[in-house]
Amino acid sequence: MPGALSGFRIIECGEMVSAAYASKLMADMGAEVIKIESPHGGDAARQRGPFPGGEPHAEKSGLYLFLNTNKRGITLDLEQTQGQEVFQRLVKDADLLIHNVHPKHMPAAGLDYDRLATINPGLVMTSIAPFGLRGPHAEYEASDLTLWNAGGLCFLNGGGPGTDHLPPLKAFGQQAGFTAGVHAAVASLGALFARLRGGLGQHVEFSVQECLMGISEFGTMMASYAGVAVTRLGHKPIQPLDLLECKDGWIFICCVEEHHWHSFVDLMDNPEWAAEPIFEDRLKRGESWDALKLLIQDWVKDFTVQDLYLKAQARRIPFAPVSTMGYLLNSEHLNARGFFVQLDHPEAGNLTYPGAPHICSETPWELRRPAPCLGQHNAEVYTELGMTAQDLAVLQQAGAV
Amino acid sequence: MSRPPLDGIRIVDFCWAWAGPYGALQLAHLGADVIRIESAKRLCPSRLIPPWPDNESGVNRAGYFNQYNQGKRSLTLDLKAPEAIDIAKTLVSKSDIVMNNFASGVMEKLGVGYDVLRRIKPDIIMVSLPGYGTSGPEKDFVSYGPPQVAQSGLSALTGYVGGPPMMAGFSYGDPNGGVHATFAVMAALLHREKTGQGQYIDLSQWEAAIMLLPEALMDYSMNGTQPERMGNRDPHMAPHGVFRSKGDDRWVSLSVRDEAEWQRLCEVMGQPELSSDARFASLATRKENEAALEEIVTAWTQERTADDATQALQNAGIPAYPALDAIDMVNNPHVGARDYFVELEHPEVGTRRHMGIPWTMSRTPCEIQRPAPCLGQDTDAVLTDIAGLSQDEIAALREKDILT
Repeated sequence: MPGALSGFRIIECGEMVSAAYASKLMADMGAEVIKIESPHGGDAARQRGPFPGGEPHAEKSGLYLFLNTNKRGITLDLEQTQGQEVFQRLVKDADLLIHNVHPKHMPAAGLDYDRLATINPGLVMTSIAPFGLRGPHAEYEASDLTLWNAGGLCFLNGGGPGTDHLPPLKAFGQQAGFTAGVHAAVASLGALFARLRGGLGQHVEFSVQECLMGISEFGTMMASYAGVAVTRLGHKPIQPLDLLECKDGWIFICCVEEHHWHSFVDLMDNPEWAAEPIFEDRLKRGESWDALKLLIQDWVKDFTVQDLYLKAQARRIPFAPVSTMGYLLNSEHLNARGFFVQLDHPEAGNLTYPGAPHICSETPWELRRPAPCLGQHNAEVYTELGMTAQDLAVLQQAGAV
Repeated sequence: MSRPPLDGIRIVDFCWAWAGPYGALQLAHLGADVIRIESAKRLCPSRLIPPWPDNESGVNRAGYFNQYNQGKRSLTLDLKAPEAIDIAKTLVSKSDIVMNNFASGVMEKLGVGYDVLRRIKPDIIMVSLPGYGTSGPEKDFVSYGPPQVAQSGLSALTGYVGGPPMMAGFSYGDPNGGVHATFAVMAALLHREKTGQGQYIDLSQWEAAIMLLPEALMDYSMNGTQPERMGNRDPHMAPHGVFRSKGDDRWVSLSVRDEAEWQRLCEVMGQPELSSDARFASLATRKENEAALEEIVTAWTQERTADDATQALQNAGIPAYPALDAIDMVNNPHVGARDYFVELEHPEVGTRRHMGIPWTMSRTPCEIQRPAPCLGQDTDAVLTDIAGLSQDEIAALREKDILT
């Protein structure tokens, strides 16, 4: 059965996460994605790992392997004249070109929408840029860490009240990249939908900073509605919503609504302190959390994570384990849904990957092929473009491939 | 052609709290007509929490709701009444997409499960995004965005060196689950446009959050190891952190990605000799001596404002940005100059600054056309224009307390 995006032809010029994740989501839904990498070492994600045994190897990076499933990979130097000629032939037949080349380097890489639109008026081009393509900070350099800060998310996290000696804390991994990637994928499909209904192609400009500001939760609204800056040092407005330590690990205790709290108090066997007026409602519990946390922690410490999790869920209280990777991979629930998949790669071997977060009734998601080795599909793709072995040899000699 | 991409696409939106509404917000951003079904008898939690302007509460005054429901319409319906279910079905028959993020099974109990709705509208696209998905042994478990951060594995990976697990964002699982659902909906919509076929999408917020940490998951898959928490550090870059700057709890973030940037940082800090110091001459030695390295960087950053430090570092081509708090964000000159903020007149809160759309489209502009709706604001219009009810029928339903 074909995937939901079967028949869409996508060119990706992605480094690291954002553009690569966007096009992975599409590739896993059936789109035909060709990933263009620099002949000089390829996507930087190849160097990041994790690697089997911790040994760096360009074909064995766990991040790269995950981000590039179902894609074909070619090498092409976009900054060379011959490379540009080939690029334009690729773009001619593409539905979507998605990239996260920094705005400063776009002209040299030929990522000029107006020019590409003359070659292919139906082209949708999505440019994911750290700060967008215009405005005073458009040319700023960025990393995932600086973007997480520019979007205001880092400032929300840390040790809580009394920990002002510790800096705002970033989330693990490449969160700015992943969040930007999935949003940019949504916008790109929006533009493809407009085109399918009779429109032409267009240029989609995407700002990672704005995307992150848009998910910064209480933060921006506290500022604009109440003039307050929410920080890692403050109390959460409602409680319990916190991480506590059980005897064999950590658990997230969560009482969003009053009935959750009442059920939790009942689960704790209705201790006398729970009736204190300072714990009367979720806002008061937020204000009194320092005291309440100690009382609850003392009760929690004698449980195993799994025992408390199941006891709470049996009463429909939304507690959750603080999962380790081993817990996830062994989860009966996730495995029953078929979330993890095995995939064999010629260099990295057979590994377990996270699969798809959705089950679509009519257009099944599938892993058709592992991430490409560097330049693996050069001959195949360039032949499809009508090039001969001799043409390819010329390009190789010029260092364009 | 200047209509937005999803002009004419209608969504019956049963979502509430945050994950679902955030997903539906993306569809509103793309120009869809999103009709939120709400009830005063079971108010959306986001209408009930602060912040409120002047600290005066009110269901139409909550910043949380007003941010994440821009551009949508609100229809109040008491879904416990059979007449309300009939109305919901009529709306579905004239719509393209149905979204909900109730716990698994709730839509079926209400009588608006996919099997019912597909008979009414064969090409309907329906997405459910409960915390755990709609199958598997834990499908009936309940969840919210904050516990998803822990459950996904992010908390165990996030934290200061040697410290306990921490949160990432506040309710990060919510927007993430919502936007992944929207991605699947958009793919299904393209498929429907090509083939005429609708479908049902079962999205698990838990699984959507696990998508965010492949580096850790693949590490375990390859090596059986759980990565250690490393604060703001990075295994492949140093220095890499958030450093104290001048002012009260002010910080600046910076990343040095390669040796050339390290040399430039030394020059910017006025200590070019550091780049040949054996302790810092390579990434490997900088990682070994990272605490000392961070002290040296802090000594420089704390003498400057975060803005000045950022400017100096960016002038040298080094990634840096102030650690923005929310006040900084709503006053950020860069996004302000880009017209990112949305300030539409709202009947109860006046003109407040909201976060807008993070993309622009050159041919089919996306624009927020209206502020978040007041509770039930569009009930009469939706019932008249879409459900085709007469004024008398609407009055009768109102009499029976079904439209609240």
